[in-house]
Amino acid sequence: MKKLFNFLRSMRFGIILLILIGIFSVIGTVIPQGNSPAWYAENYPSAHGLIMALRLNSIFSSWYFIVILVLLCVNLIFCSLLRIRSVTKAAGDESVRTALLPIIVRLSPEGVQALEDHLEAIHCRAEQMAACTVYSKNRFGRYGSFITHLSILLVILTGAAALYLPQVKDYTCYSGSSVVLEDGTRIEVFDFHIEDLSGRLDYSSNIRITLSDGRSSEQRNIKVNYPLAFGRYKVYQQTYGTAGSVTVTNLDNGGSDDMILDEKSFLSLDGVSGLWYLALYPDYLEDPSGNITLVSSVTGHYTNPVYEVISVSDGVYAPVLAFPGEELQINSLVFRFNEPVEYPGLRVKETPPFINAMLIFSFVLMTAGLYVTFFCEPVFIKVSPEGYTAAGPRPERMRMDLSDRFGGFEIDEKEESQ
Amino acid sequence: MKALFFTVFALYAISVVLQFTGTAFKKDKLLKAAWYIFMAACALHLVFIIVRGISAKRLPLSNQFEFANAFAFGAAVFTIAVSMKMKAGWLRSVAMPMALLIMTYAALQPMEIKDLMPALRSAWFGVHIGSAVLAYSAFVIAGSAGLRYIIASRKENADEKMLKQMDYLGYRLVTFGFLFLTVVILSGAIWAEQAWSAFWTWDPKEVWALITWIIYALYLHLRLRRKSNERFLAWFLFIAVFVVFFTFAGVNTLMHGLHTYG
Ligand code: HEM
Repeated sequence: MKKLFNFLRSMRFGIILLILIGIFSVIGTVIPQGNSPAWYAENYPSAHGLIMALRLNSIFSSWYFIVILVLLCVNLIFCSLLRIRSVTKAAGDESVRTALLPIIVRLSPEGVQALEDHLEAIHCRAEQMAACTVYSKNRFGRYGSFITHLSILLVILTGAAALYLPQVKDYTCYSGSSVVLEDGTRIEVFDFHIEDLSGRLDYSSNIRITLSDGRSSEQRNIKVNYPLAFGRYKVYQQTYGTAGSVTVTNLDNGGSDDMILDEKSFLSLDGVSGLWYLALYPDYLEDPSGNITLVSSVTGHYTNPVYEVISVSDGVYAPVLAFPGEELQINSLVFRFNEPVEYPGLRVKETPPFINAMLIFSFVLMTAGLYVTFFCEPVFIKVSPEGYTAAGPRPERMRMDLSDRFGGFEIDEKEESQ
Repeated sequence: MKALFFTVFALYAISVVLQFTGTAFKKDKLLKAAWYIFMAACALHLVFIIVRGISAKRLPLSNQFEFANAFAFGAAVFTIAVSMKMKAGWLRSVAMPMALLIMTYAALQPMEIKDLMPALRSAWFGVHIGSAVLAYSAFVIAGSAGLRYIIASRKENADEKMLKQMDYLGYRLVTFGFLFLTVVILSGAIWAEQAWSAFWTWDPKEVWALITWIIYALYLHLRLRRKSNERFLAWFLFIAVFVVFFTFAGVNTLMHGLHTYG
């Protein structure tokens, strides 16, 4: 049992886990993730059985990848939380242990004086011991790797929460209308437009969020990189679409109606005669003899939109290509084809409170932890009338610096201990 | 502007040729000339970056050319800073060609200035990509220190003190690079959430940044183990450079994902 525990808390186990995560990550980028089984059968005819059996098609959500991450968390808990006691204890008597070290670099009495002046100038703390002085700097640096490991644990845990707890839903909504979410929160879309910035399209919606308790956000434009966050909601400009638009006038009573056409539909009063709307094409090509080829996809604005419709009048079906501005009369109904309307696809993300704040906190902690670990290394320098010794977890930098500044005669550590 | 870039490129190339000739024939004067030309190239490189930034009216870090160009500049700056501050002249014969290699890659990329695409217009752009330049440059020069260690340790009467310095310098550069790669990944996550709504999408570029990060975390831990020997760690640093290159260039060319920007 103790052996198992020791293994679980060992750095060796941590290293093995990191290697495994690395290997699976490589596989997860070499084999495209998240496609259908048929896709793998087609692209990996000889290996698709293995890919499906080992879930190499969705490696990052496979049970074994999650087990490795859980084990890494366990290992991190052990190597950070359990080590903190020994780190604190070691930090407590580090000066005394440094005082017991042999002198490694011999200096002249003037050299020693210059060294002590320098150590004071760089704000080292001095402690008088029996036959020497121990100078120290960055004692808190001892806790750097503790902070780092703890923050990695926090990043994994809060990161998992931030990835899996939020609810994300996509909505389409025309300008001038609104989307009402389950809890009564309303997202109003005032305007949508596509900006064409030197050939690179940018999509922008002008929106406002009103929460179920009546509080409203500011009204502003959202676009890529600039979502609108309010309450637990964040609304993103996700996609856009283009729909047909017709004005239908009834000649019998003079009434008219504007209609949006975003799917195949039959517009009719009696269910017999009327207009079948089939599709809206963004553009067309016309050859010299007048034949028209419809273009089915473009990015951005529809340059030359064409409506593909069927006129149905008393059982006679006539296919028609109609252009914005044109009118088509079918019995007593007049259909006027308008310029298409562009509308946004909004992504609404609802995140439980505190998760994002916790995640950002753990990011900051991790950066700070690494900074302290690497750039605030604790150093202890024993100075006696004969010379000095620099010690600490990574004393190399201080040793090189002092050796550059003060030279001195280095005594071989091995010789000294013999 | 192209002329300025190729002048910088030519100066780097000349300095590397002189460095090799000087080393081969043990001519100190040539080595000195190589070094001054390299520093001049680096200064002119900075001018090129500033001019490009001014004419593009943004940070010149947006496409493969600009990133590679900044990466080469970063490698050159690290070479100069480290060899001056730590008196590590021995680094030059490996680090200078490394900067030239990255510069060559930049020279092979399309150079025209394009407007920043909407997805990249964000305050995070500078933090994320700037940190990546710093991290990659530090790793590449750490790999150079590793390679220099491997070469030096083959000699029978290798200078122990110098080997220690090479090992430590590699480590020091990794700590610097590791901190910045962490900033790259974390700022990337925050940015991804602003742009695409999810902090992490397992996009190939993200995953390779994570793999690179794991590799250097392994290095840091292996170095803590008393059993690991310095030669092994030097090889580790050198080989890790290929992973950095792959994350930087290979992922964009060989894998498809959200990070494929023009
Ligand atoms: C998930 C990735 C991890 C990262 C990024 C990481 C990062 C670090 C860093 C930066 C250091 C300081 C190294 C140095 O000063 O040269 C360190 C030290 C250390 N790490 Fe990790 N670590 C990770 C996982 C682990 C795990 C899983 C263990 C498990 C036991 C572990 C155990 C240790 C130990 C014992 C030290 C030495 C502590 C000290 O010097 O005070 N690490 N780690």
